[in-house]
Formats: sequence, structure tokens, C-alpha cells
Amino acid sequence: MSVEMRRPAQPATEGREEPTPQGAVPMWLFILLFVALFWGMNYFDRHGAWFNGRVYAPYRSLAELQMHQPPTGGINLERGRAVYESVCALCHGVDGKGKPGQAPPLAGAEWVLGPVNRLVRIPLAGLTGPIEVNGQQWNLAMPAMGAALSDEDLAAVLSYMRTSWGNKGTEVTAEQVGAVRKEIGNRTQPFTAAELLTVQ
Amino acid sequence: MVSPEAKAKAAAGAPAIDAGSAEETVSCRWPLLVLFLGAAGWLVAGSLLGLLASIKFHSPMFLAEPAWLTYGRVKAASAALLVYGFCVPTALGVGLWLMSRLGRVALAGPVVAGFGGGLLHAGVAVGLVGVLRGDGTGFLHLEFPAGAAGLVFLGYLLLGTVGVLTLYRRREARMEAAQWFVLAGLFWFGWIYSTANLCLLVFPVRGVAQAAINYWHTGNLLGVWMGLMGLGTVFALLPRLAGREPGREYVAMFVFWVLLLFGSWTGIPATAPLPAWMPALSTVGTVLSGLGVLGVAVIVHQTLAGRYGSVWRDERLRFLGLGVAAYVVGGVMQVVEALSGRSWMLHFTWFTAAREWMQVYGYLALVMFGTVYAIVPALVGVDWWSRRFLRLHFWLAGAGLLFVAAPLAAGGVVEAARLLNPALGFVEVSRGTLMFLRLSTIGELLILAGNGLFFVNLAGTVAGICRRALADALRRWGAETTGEGAAA
Ligand code: HEC
Repeated sequence: MSVEMRRPAQPATEGREEPTPQGAVPMWLFILLFVALFWGMNYFDRHGAWFNGRVYAPYRSLAELQMHQPPTGGINLERGRAVYESVCALCHGVDGKGKPGQAPPLAGAEWVLGPVNRLVRIPLAGLTGPIEVNGQQWNLAMPAMGAALSDEDLAAVLSYMRTSWGNKGTEVTAEQVGAVRKEIGNRTQPFTAAELLTVQ
Repeated sequence: MVSPEAKAKAAAGAPAIDAGSAEETVSCRWPLLVLFLGAAGWLVAGSLLGLLASIKFHSPMFLAEPAWLTYGRVKAASAALLVYGFCVPTALGVGLWLMSRLGRVALAGPVVAGFGGGLLHAGVAVGLVGVLRGDGTGFLHLEFPAGAAGLVFLGYLLLGTVGVLTLYRRREARMEAAQWFVLAGLFWFGWIYSTANLCLLVFPVRGVAQAAINYWHTGNLLGVWMGLMGLGTVFALLPRLAGREPGREYVAMFVFWVLLLFGSWTGIPATAPLPAWMPALSTVGTVLSGLGVLGVAVIVHQTLAGRYGSVWRDERLRFLGLGVAAYVVGGVMQVVEALSGRSWMLHFTWFTAAREWMQVYGYLALVMFGTVYAIVPALVGVDWWSRRFLRLHFWLAGAGLLFVAAPLAAGGVVEAARLLNPALGFVEVSRGTLMFLRLSTIGELLILAGNGLFFVNLAGTVAGICRRALADALRRWGAETTGEGAAA
């Protein structure tokens, strides 16, 4: 009257309990396994970004992510505009036309379109004293508004300035900004217009 | 073709598990009783706290006053008691028993095992006090503070060592599926529980990595560990109780490898704030584990084909049968949940709670009830204290499971649908689930009643043999003293 937990030494013979029908794996289960594996590979390929730790859902791949977040390095004028509007536009105006008594214009200004080495120095260390812009005299002071920006961001904003509001200048690269930054070292003294004119 | 013997057996009622050799039985008796009895106690306490939490969710003023009875604490305490108070000790006890009986050898180190069981329960007690005092960790399924978790782990370590040693000393050279399942389960628990506690409580990792580890642990605990321990038990007992020789085990091997290889990736929902490859891999793992669930259905069908009636006639088989059914349903729910992904956020709703009820209570706890009901009479040499309680427990458990899981699942689907509607606020959506929650409270009440019967029945049976042993000892002592008196 009891269930034997032990296995019989030999396969069940007649008279004992019926053997379980052979426990073979049905073919359809294997086929399903392969179908599921195939589906799984595709699914992972589409959603998993191949183990890239920077990609989070809802993005599915690095490429899709980069479409929304432009790469650093290389000049990006959209980024330049964003930086300009948050850092420089307060004084120089969103339209680059300057504000009377506050800051001279950037549109059409020879300082903006002139030598890159000269231009980069202005936001890096600031500018003070008399200066002629578009035939008009100014005598104000600008703090080193660009000193805290990265080379990429400063290059982007200067490129944006040189190509917007009717300006037709060339773009500024991050390397050019980096070189000037190294040249002036940790200078905190603002430049004067006269001093800048010696820079080519 | 039913053999005459089998017919006679069926006529005489359900077969009992054989008592095994005397030394096997004696070595298993006390360690297992320590594990089972403590577990049954925690189960009742846990379901009582769970019922409180369930009521509080729709009636927040109910017992709102003492801090230790607030929702966050009783909810966490009940979850921890169900898993670490009940599932872990019972499954370990059943695992040890399988190692001894299938290997035809006495338990290696019954005293160590008994001590390990005591330590495990002590850890749960300390953890319970910690959680109620407000020292819970805030991690689901890892609620106990580090000290208590350490005790639980030590207890597990002793029990696991005894299990592995027993397998090593076995006299029956050939292993069957149940043995590899339990062996893997013993190692798996040690791995995930120690890793998760070390990385979350002892040397906490930073930021979202904590969430990743918590998800990983939960997926492995519910999917892999519970799968291994419960299925191993089912594969050993189902054919024997149904009166069949265990057959060849290729499907079991298929299930085994699917669980280990793919089950261990599961647990990370699609909206987890983690790099996309983690939820993506987890979704794939969940779908692949679904094949293991199908494999289980195949095995059960191969074992029971033409004998489904026998499941109905035998109370222990009813528990096992319903447990396996819940395993399959829970597995399917998990696949649906994973595939619903970000577009239809089922895992963000009560649907997840319904699925966990299916997996933890519906599957593992029911399988363990059936097994404990099957093996304790053989261990103690007497039948259950109350057969009626046993039958009633099944109905309460089955109805309770239905009343908890069905409303929560339905409520989850409704909730997910309404979450998609931008015109509805979150609070409004949550309020819409209250009706379902009230229904699930009824289910929890039924489950509590069933668990109470289980505890009383087990305690009554153990008390019976204790009384008998005491009476025997007294009689022997009396005989000795009168004998001595006569000699003097
Ligand atoms: C606080 C207000 C202020 C901000 C912000 C500011 N500037 Fe200026 N900027 C000035 C003033 C004032 C002058 C004129 C200084 C002088 O009179 O010597 C000037 C002059 C200049 C000039 C040379 C004259 C011209 O108009 O062509 C350039 C180029 C320039 N700024 C670029 C920048 C850039 C690039 C930024 C953003 C990174 C910036 N400025 C942000 C106030 C500002």
C-alpha cells in the first residue's frame, strides 16, 4: 500500500505500474525553440543597442540616439546658436545688432569677420576701452564671457556668429580655439582694441 | 491498460509514500519537522500581515496608528515572510528529503541540518522585527536588514551543505531529474542571495546599478530558484503518486537547461531606467523561458495522460496539479507582461502582483503543501491529525488563489488601458482599481484561513507524536523504576 520512491533496477516489467510514455522531447518544442531564438536575436538586434551602455530606452540604437543628440567634435551651428542665445545674446541681442549703451553689434562687424586669432581672444579674456565697430565709437567693457566654455562650444558659437545675420565668414574650429587658449595662458587682464589690432 | 494491482490500489484509496529505510526516516524526521513547522508558522503570520496590507490599501485609516503597522512595513514584512519564512525553508526541507530518499541514504548530518533550520528561522524572526521597526531595506524580495539576511544565509549554507553531501553519499548511483534540479537549486540560492545582499547592503553599488541587481535577484529567485526546487519535487512525486514509473527524462533536461540558460536573464521590465540592452535581453530571456513552461506542460501531460482522474481523487495530487497549472499560467502571464513592453505597461500595474501571486503562492506554495502532506505521514509514522482540514485547505487555497489573482490581473489590464489615456490623472487611474483590490482582499482572507488549517494540522500531528513519545518514555521510565524498586 505504498509508493516506492526507489527506481526499479530494471525498466518496469508487466505486472508493475504502467511506465510513463517515453519522455522524448516533442519535435515541435525544438522547432519552437529555434523560432524563438531567431525571434530573440532579431528583437535584441532591434532593441538592445548591442550592449552599448549609453543607449537607454526609448532609443534602440546608438545611431538613433545620435540623430537626437549631435556628436561633439565638428562644428555644429545649431549648438552654436543655442550657446549664443544663452550666453552672448543678453548684451549683443538675438539678432546680433547690439544694444545701444550696452554692447556693440556683431552683424557686419570687422572684429567678428576679421582674423580668427583676434576674434577668439575677445570672449576668452574680455575686452575693455575704446573700440570702433562699423564706424561707430564704443567705450565699454566686456567680461571674459567665453572663458568657461569648452573649445567645441566656443568654436560653435563663433562659427555661428561668423555665418549669421548676413555675415559670410569661415567657420572656427575647436583646434583654433584651443591654440589661442594655450597662447594666452591664464591671462585674466582684458584685451584692448589697440592690442588686438597687433594680432593677425 | 490498468494492471490488476493498480486497480486494487485505486480501489483501496490513494497510495501513501513508503516509509523508506528506518535510518533515512529517522535522519530526516526532526530537521524536516523543524523546517516545516517553523515555515507553517511564518506562513500564517505572513498571510495575516498581507491581509492587513491588502485592507489598508483601500481603507487607509484601518489600524493607521502604530508606526509598525503602517502599510509600507506590513506589506514588506508579509512579502518577506511568504518567501523567506515559508518558501525557502519548506523547499530546502523537501529538497533534503528528496536527496535522502532518491539516493537511498540517510541525511548527512541531521543535527547540522536541524541547527541550520533553526538558524534560518531565527534569521527570519530577526528580519521580521527589523522590517516592522522600520529597518527594512526597501528592496523587494530582499527586505531583511543585513544582519538578519546573514543569519538566513548561514542557515541556508548548513542546509545546502547537508543536501550536497547527502547526494554525494548516495547509494543509488543513477540520478534522476529531481536530484539535478534540487542540486542546481541549492547552489543557485546561495549565489543569488549572497551576491544581491553583498552588492546592495554590505558594499552598496551606486545608483541605478542597485535597481539592476534587485531586478536580477527577483527574476532569478522567482523564475530560476523556485522553478528548480518546485519542478524537481513535482517530477519526483507526480508519477509516483499517480501510480506510474518515472519515465525517461529528456523533456526534464530540456526544461532544466532552458531555466538555467534563459531564466536567469529575466526580471527586468521594459521601463526600467537601465541601458536598453538589459530590458531587451530580459524580454528575450522571458520569451525563451516560456518554452520551458511549455516543456513542463508536456511532461505533466506525458505523466498523467489518461489518468487525469487520479489527480482529482488524491488530495496531495490536487495540490501538485493545481500548483503546476499555476506555474504554466504564471509563465504565460510573464511572457505577456514582457511583450507588452513600453507600449502597454502591464508590468507597471497590479498585473505584476497577480503574476507573482501565481508564481509564489499558486505554484511554489501549493506544490510544497502537496509535498508536505505527502511526506510527513511517512516521516512521523502516523496519519494527519485531520483529513478534513487537509481537504478544506485545498478548497480554501484554490478559491483564494482565484479570488486574489483573477481580480488583480483584470484590474491590471484595466489600469494599463487607462494609463494610456492622457486625460486621466494617475490618482484617478489608481482609484479605478479599488474594486478589484477589494475582491482580492476576500481572496487573501480565504488564503489566510487555509494557511491556518495547514499550521494547525501540522502542529496537531507533531503534537500527537510528541505526546506518544512522551508517554512511551514515561512508561519505560516507570517500568525501570518499579523494576529497580523490586530489585532493591
Ligand atoms: C555683459 C554683456 C556682454 C556679453 C554677455 C557679451 N559681450 Fe561681447 N561685448 C560687450 C561689450 C560691452 C563690448 C564692447 C567692449 C568695449 O567697448 O571695449 C563687447 C564686444 C564684443 C566684441 C567686439 C566688438 C564687436 O561687437 O564686434 C565681440 C567679438 C564680442 N563682444 C563677442 C562676444 C561673445 C562671443 C560673447 C558670448 C560668448 C559676448 N560677446 C558676450 C558685452 C558683452
